[in-house]
Amino acid sequence: VTEAERDEAFRRVAVACLDGLYGFALSLCRDATLAEDLVQETYLRALKARHKASPDAGLRSWMFAILHNVWRNEVRRRRPEGLTDEADLIQDPSADPLQLADRRESGGRLRAAIEALPGPFREAILLRCVEGFSYREMAEIVGCPAGTVMSRLARARALLRKSLGPARLGEPLAHPERSTQAGKH
Amino acid sequence: MALSCESARRLVTSYLDGELVGEDRSAFESHVEACDACRRVLRDEEAVVDAVTSALPRTPAPDGLRTRVDSLFPAAPRGRRLWPAGALAAGLALALAAGYLYRHEPPPGGAATASDLVAFAADTHLRYTRGQLPLEIGSDRPEAVSGWFAGRVPFSLTLPDYPVGPGESKLYRLLGGRLVSFRGDYAAYLAYRMEERPISLLVTSSQVRPEGGEVVRFASLVFHQESMQGLKIITWTDKGLTYALASDLSVGGERSCMVCHGSPEERRRIERFPRSPTT
Repeated sequence: VTEAERDEAFRRVAVACLDGLYGFALSLCRDATLAEDLVQETYLRALKARHKASPDAGLRSWMFAILHNVWRNEVRRRRPEGLTDEADLIQDPSADPLQLADRRESGGRLRAAIEALPGPFREAILLRCVEGFSYREMAEIVGCPAGTVMSRLARARALLRKSLGPARLGEPLAHPERSTQAGKH
Repeated sequence: MALSCESARRLVTSYLDGELVGEDRSAFESHVEACDACRRVLRDEEAVVDAVTSALPRTPAPDGLRTRVDSLFPAAPRGRRLWPAGALAAGLALALAAGYLYRHEPPPGGAATASDLVAFAADTHLRYTRGQLPLEIGSDRPEAVSGWFAGRVPFSLTLPDYPVGPGESKLYRLLGGRLVSFRGDYAAYLAYRMEERPISLLVTSSQVRPEGGEVVRFASLVFHQESMQGLKIITWTDKGLTYALASDLSVGGERSCMVCHGSPEERRRIERFPRSPTT
């Protein structure tokens, strides 16, 4: 396999990740413009480091891990001094209760509940339920032990169950509209 | 190995996430089959997982971002592209009568086992039939669905549209497709309908070698047919891609093959499938 072929193979797989990376970025930062910046920075870093990517490891999870690192750096840059990563585990203050109530009324209450999850729990839900990563891959992406990932996932689901109530799970859930409008065009 | 209820309940999340394999998975399934209380717990947890999954559709990247990302990569040199294109694709399509075109390229992800793929195909089919896996592209036009997958899966996929013979009608209808994740890589999920019953086809470039089950040989291809969760699952590999076809058709599962090989001549050949013993 020549270097050009390896580069082309890398390009094909990396570009195939784009929708997933953008969706993950949007979930992390909830800002369409910032999400695009995070994804673009992810590709720039991935391109620079592509020769370091292990052929035995999943390139897709490697790309998501880069995005997660880019986001963590952004969070640290914006965080007021004195706050630690533990602050991520409280309910996300950017989840506006009024907006969430509107979404509940329009049928997207489960999605609203997911958006209100603390960041690490929301990440776990996204990586597992949308992107289908294994516990091991999720652990590599967010940089913590697989046991922690499993625990976050279980706690996230428990919170969602609690916020919705057992009876509500049997009700048909309206699909939120496809959010192509979330991005800038 | 018999499980206690306490042990089984600790495994519910791992089971639903596909992290429980081999003997552990079999032991869990045996316990749940025999234990009403644990079966209820599993159903409740499954409802949470399914509801969450359904509530989170994929968010496509804006076109502007896609263009900017594309521009970051140096243009591929002419003649170095790895997948069939243009005349080569057309030639292969003619040669195969109505087959899937592929790009042969080792995937970057880890290996999966044949049983992983069979279980995944069954789960995916059931989730689709329960309305928990909405299609991302809904169309009965093969070229439209093929075009949607371009750039979204790490291989090239061209869906067949076989010619219908005089006096014959198509046996199946394409409904659309979506992305699914299989062992750390994107796979293509395609939904069809035949005799008013749903058929699911998964296409993945993950390195997984189908094996076991009832073996059916057709030309140079070797199909493995298994039953799981009341479904017939057929798996095979062809030129770098692996396929899994799931349906609950009560007739021979090989009829599902007509999704790809539906021309009158190919249908006659399929009906004459020779059988070989289980390996």
